[in-house]
Amino acid sequence: MIEASGLAKSYGSTKAVDGLTFSVRPGVVTGFLGPNGSGKSTTMRLIMGLDRPDAGRVTLDGHRYHDLRWPLREVGALLEAKAVHPGRTAYNHLLSLAQSNALPRTRVDEVLGMVGLDSVAKRKVGKFSLGMSQRLGIASALLGDPGVLLFDEPINGLDPEGILWVRNLLKGLAAEGRTIFVSSHLMSEMALTATDLVVIGRGRLIADTSVADFIASNTEATVLVRSPEADRLGGVLTAAGAGVLARDDGGLLVTRMDLAAIGDAAHAAGLPLHELSPQQASLEEVFMDLTSDAVDFHGLAPERGAR
Amino acid sequence: MTTVAAPLPALDRGRAGLRQALASEWTKLRSVRSTWVCLAIVVVAGLGLSALVSNLEAGRWAQLTAAERAQFDPVRFSQSGVFLSQFVVGVLGALVVTAEYASGAMRTTLAALPRRGTVLAAKGLVLSAVVLVVAEVTAFASFFLSQAILLAHGGKTLPAGSTVLNQVRSPTIPVDSLTTPGAFRAVFLAGVYLLVLALIAFGMGFLVRHTAGAISVFVGVLLVLPLIVQILPSSFSQPFERYLPSNLGVAMTVVSRTHNNFVGVLLDPWAAAGVLVLYAGVFVALGAWLLVRRDA
Repeated sequence: MIEASGLAKSYGSTKAVDGLTFSVRPGVVTGFLGPNGSGKSTTMRLIMGLDRPDAGRVTLDGHRYHDLRWPLREVGALLEAKAVHPGRTAYNHLLSLAQSNALPRTRVDEVLGMVGLDSVAKRKVGKFSLGMSQRLGIASALLGDPGVLLFDEPINGLDPEGILWVRNLLKGLAAEGRTIFVSSHLMSEMALTATDLVVIGRGRLIADTSVADFIASNTEATVLVRSPEADRLGGVLTAAGAGVLARDDGGLLVTRMDLAAIGDAAHAAGLPLHELSPQQASLEEVFMDLTSDAVDFHGLAPERGAR
Repeated sequence: MTTVAAPLPALDRGRAGLRQALASEWTKLRSVRSTWVCLAIVVVAGLGLSALVSNLEAGRWAQLTAAERAQFDPVRFSQSGVFLSQFVVGVLGALVVTAEYASGAMRTTLAALPRRGTVLAAKGLVLSAVVLVVAEVTAFASFFLSQAILLAHGGKTLPAGSTVLNQVRSPTIPVDSLTTPGAFRAVFLAGVYLLVLALIAFGMGFLVRHTAGAISVFVGVLLVLPLIVQILPSSFSQPFERYLPSNLGVAMTVVSRTHNNFVGVLLDPWAAAGVLVLYAGVFVALGAWLLVRRDA
């Protein structure tokens, strides 16, 4: 269980995290979602006691991180995959961590096996690919067999097989009753892995909910309608109380009216229908939509229609 | 692949502390090549320069003037490697800290051991132990090597109670033994000097958090500061000169009969060691204060 209340942190004049309150429950994977630069990594560092919050507090199973007696046995974290001395071997890196929390040497071999790095254990980390570094980071998080696990963008740099492996690993760890908090800037990834969601933008909380509720409450059912009499049909549907948006290709995007009602209305008005299809807003769109006001730096998009 | 493994031995009592931190830091120090490269340079430079300088000085004894003979210090020749080694242990002392900041591993370290004072203490103790052992072994080995070379050039040990005057009048090259007044102290403090310099750089590592930056400041204190002091009018700078780390090093490593030449210019050997330790204490304390206060 991770509980944050009123967390705030500024770096100079930049408010990285601004009054964050959320909780992460054990037994499920909780996704920590936000655009790049929204304060996810800062929040992770505040949880780990690495940075000192300007205000608020965060506890892990009721304890502040600083008060944990054997930190690696209670909390495991993958913060930065490449945060290892490049000249040290994977084995020695993990050994030094194990020793710091009185963990047996055999545990190093175990976690190396778990992440599939046993064959390169004696190789220098500087020669590792990003994917291998991620696996090493995950191994160090698992070292103390902790009940709380934090992963900052764990699938960065992984190949599809690796991504699938991480997904299953996270779900498996959660099923064992652990608290799993995993950050990502990819909504689609979280939809596949997470049960709960904490969404932030510009350091502020946008949502603290389940993935299912998040999608349901943020997706409006939309229907795509095509008709050779699009203008007239648009008028009829608007009069019936629907929201209608004409697309460039002649289709109409209709909201606030379901498929059957649209079909009936067209029939009653004697207008032909060429297409009547439900549109599922993708999660990525919902997420973009929600956080668009909260993105720090928008890319310079090419002007619409200037193709 | 499974995450189910043998359960870890339960730890109901205690907490991760200095004992665990020391084991962890020793693994870290011994598992990177830079440590062994630095220590190898200390040994090779110590023995090599000692042999070289002793050979050259021994060959010149017959031609030396009285004033030069008064400066002839077999112990100091044996510790010639210190001039180079002081920079090398500085690099090692800084790297122990800054290499972790460079890679970001300091966060991993502080997550495993949130008590930052303990982390600093463990790092400092492991560094000190390694540097002290290597520096002392090198200092004494260099001393014996150097005296052996002087003996091979026909040198003879001066009788007990000899002064600089006896030395100047001696027809043979003077050779020291560890029983020569001040010789044991000088050799021992040559090793201590390297240890304390390593700790000064170690403290700077926590202040600057950057390898090149920390080493630059360290070299600045050792090399540039004396130059600046030299440029100043001597009436103004002379009281400060004896407190320069490099001059403290000289004060620590000259034998007694030579030390008399420097009365009023150099501090007493043990006082010099004390001042140098004080410098290191200030830098390490500043580093500790910042480590605990600043974000990791």
